Amino acid sequence: MSVTSRSGFMSELGLARPAAVGAILVVAIALQSTVLTKVTLLGVIPQLLFVVVISLAMLEGERVGVVVGFFAGLIQDFLLPQSVTGLTALEYTFIGYVVGMIRYYLPSQSVWMPVFVVALASAFAEGTYAILAIIMGQRWVSIGYTAKVAGLVILYNTLLTPFVYPVIKRIADRVRPERVVRI
Amino acid sequence: MYRPRRRGRLLLLAFLALSVLVITLDFRGGDGGPLERAKEITQAIVAPIQRGVTAITRPVGNFFSSIADLANLREENGRLRNEVEELTREINQARELAKENAELREYLDLDEPWYTMDAVTAQVIADAPGNYSWAVTISRGADDGVETDMAVITAQGLVGKVINVNADEALVLLLIDPQLGVGATTGERRLLGTVSGNGEGVDLSLNYVSKSEDVVLGDNIYTSNRNRSVFPPGIPIGHVSAIGGDARDPNYQISVRPAVDFTTLNFVQVLLETGSGSKEGS
Repeated sequence: MSVTSRSGFMSELGLARPAAVGAILVVAIALQSTVLTKVTLLGVIPQLLFVVVISLAMLEGERVGVVVGFFAGLIQDFLLPQSVTGLTALEYTFIGYVVGMIRYYLPSQSVWMPVFVVALASAFAEGTYAILAIIMGQRWVSIGYTAKVAGLVILYNTLLTPFVYPVIKRIADRVRPERVVRI
Repeated sequence: MYRPRRRGRLLLLAFLALSVLVITLDFRGGDGGPLERAKEITQAIVAPIQRGVTAITRPVGNFFSSIADLANLREENGRLRNEVEELTREINQARELAKENAELREYLDLDEPWYTMDAVTAQVIADAPGNYSWAVTISRGADDGVETDMAVITAQGLVGKVINVNADEALVLLLIDPQLGVGATTGERRLLGTVSGNGEGVDLSLNYVSKSEDVVLGDNIYTSNRNRSVFPPGIPIGHVSAIGGDARDPNYQISVRPAVDFTTLNFVQVLLETGSGSKEGS
């Protein structure tokens, strides 16, 4: 028997989950490029899309983490001017996988766990992005500015998590396919 | 337990390879490739939501900032009335001069100046969603005559240039982005140096200006059309805010305060023509 999911036209086609995830990503990047560029922390924009990727990877596991990470990174790359396209995709794909894997080893019920994981993942993401951007010859990434951005992004992402994670969890719970039964 | 994890690893490798492929395609570059098309599609999907969010949130933001400004309104009103009278007088003078200027230009067969070029007004609907690049999405695109490399301005001066165009939107790289270099001059029709950005809230750098040049604090800086610049000449960039450079350096280190306030960019104008340099195929 194959995967069955809850009622509805989209879910009958098995498209409910990809459609919901796609919509979440688009709305997240739209908010990140409008409202959140005005509500900055000392001029630094939080990475809402990244928090969404981490939340989904924690909730759904490494395979969803990989796919969502790739497409989220790609959307962000496509909307950034003249940066190295594919760099964010590469990074989010890897982080999506790692977060999806380490969830097997974490106490899942703790409300602090998503906050902790987002903080760690943000630190890793900001650091590697700066290093990769320098290696690939992106112009002007000064150490001082990078350090300031990294610190504030980690803080801002962490502060957003208690608001973002529960919303993503509710949507994910609704569109998750029912348990696979093999006979 | 092992099989799903192995499948996860394979999936990871496949998508990492896909990312590397995208990076390779990007490095090989070229206009009109599959990446350009994908960028346009992404922009077209996200833009309507950005427009919606901006339409809802901007009035709220404006409302709060007007409450904060209430106390200063009376004083500002008086100041503005004086300014209107002064400007009206200046406009009358300028009209006479413009007429004279147009006649002389025709006589000397010069290019059209930027302030008489056709322009479309556009609203800023979104900013770049990252902390390492500075760009805005505007509400006009190819359907309105906007093309890549066109100059974007406000009444104060140069904002940036169009780097990507959709049917209904365009992406504008801002003057404060370090990736945009703009040929600059003090007003004479020759190249002085190149202005490049250092991010928001930081003055621009005017590079490659030899110490033999005569530059003083407060000098106005304009775009130059020399050195294959895409910008029409004479658009205000800003003014010299600091001059430095150590004794051994043959060049000055000059800071330029931009004429445009990039923190409150709401409406901009796109000049529907590019500078003379682009015609030479830059």
